[in-house]
Amino acid sequence: MAKLTPRMKNWLEGLGAHIGTATKKGFPTTIVVESAKVEGDNMVKFQLSNAQVEQIKQNISENPQVAIGPAGLGCIRAAYQFKGIAKLEGNILEVEVREIYCTKPGPEAALRLDTLPYENIIKFESTRWRDTGPPK
Amino acid sequence: MKLTKEIIDALKIKNPDDIVVYLTTSSIDGKCNISPQLFTDVYMDEFILMPDLFAVKTKINFNENRVGVVTIAHPAERKTWALRGPCGHIEWGLPDNYDFQGVKAGDILKKWGDWSEKESFPSLPEDVRPAVIAQRGVIVLKVAECYSFSAEDSGRKVL
Repeated sequence: MAKLTPRMKNWLEGLGAHIGTATKKGFPTTIVVESAKVEGDNMVKFQLSNAQVEQIKQNISENPQVAIGPAGLGCIRAAYQFKGIAKLEGNILEVEVREIYCTKPGPEAALRLDTLPYENIIKFESTRWRDTGPPK
Repeated sequence: MKLTKEIIDALKIKNPDDIVVYLTTSSIDGKCNISPQLFTDVYMDEFILMPDLFAVKTKINFNENRVGVVTIAHPAERKTWALRGPCGHIEWGLPDNYDFQGVKAGDILKKWGDWSEKESFPSLPEDVRPAVIAQRGVIVLKVAECYSFSAEDSGRKVL
């Protein structure tokens, strides 16, 4: 099971995310949400507007797979991608994260992190980034 | 679809790291991939170009499903555009007359095949820039539609 680190949680909760969804035949739609709440080890919840719900509800009902990238400065300073299974509860999009990847441009792009021991993920982060979250 | 001057100005080459976008692609059965792209340019006012720097999953998706969405990630203030359309990769080694959505591989690779001639990768912050630059080709997205991703207007057609 994927387990988000404190740094991952801080970036997602601080700046939100770009969320990729698709039809079951692979036609993509991306929405952008400005904040998130991480619960437990791997549950991420996003408060959507009515327009965002309308935009993705068909995709989520036929294909719950989503991909998430941290928004704002997080796109480069928090180079993670989270993949998981989503469901809509009213205007809340709940994503159970099942896979975590590094998206740092270069030879480590697409490196899967959640298959590493948790301590190694923490070590990986500490050797590549100095911050523990977005600037205040 | 021709892009507006405002969108073109935002995406055209200026300084490294001045605008960063996400590119969303999908496998043919709907598993998405979302990857940050630090470099963009615009060709013929309707094609968004990005260097292929280790775009592993993205290219796997292109091999079976050639469509993508570019969203402005940073800075996104007043740039809440999602640009969607046919998207593929033009790799070094393709014949010059290889055609993707009306653009020729030779034309693209001659001008953008070595992106480091256009933008200075070493000028990027150390913890952001790729440790090694090995450009395999150029990712091309032909914009077919543009919708807003602002919360209140999400999905509204902009162009």
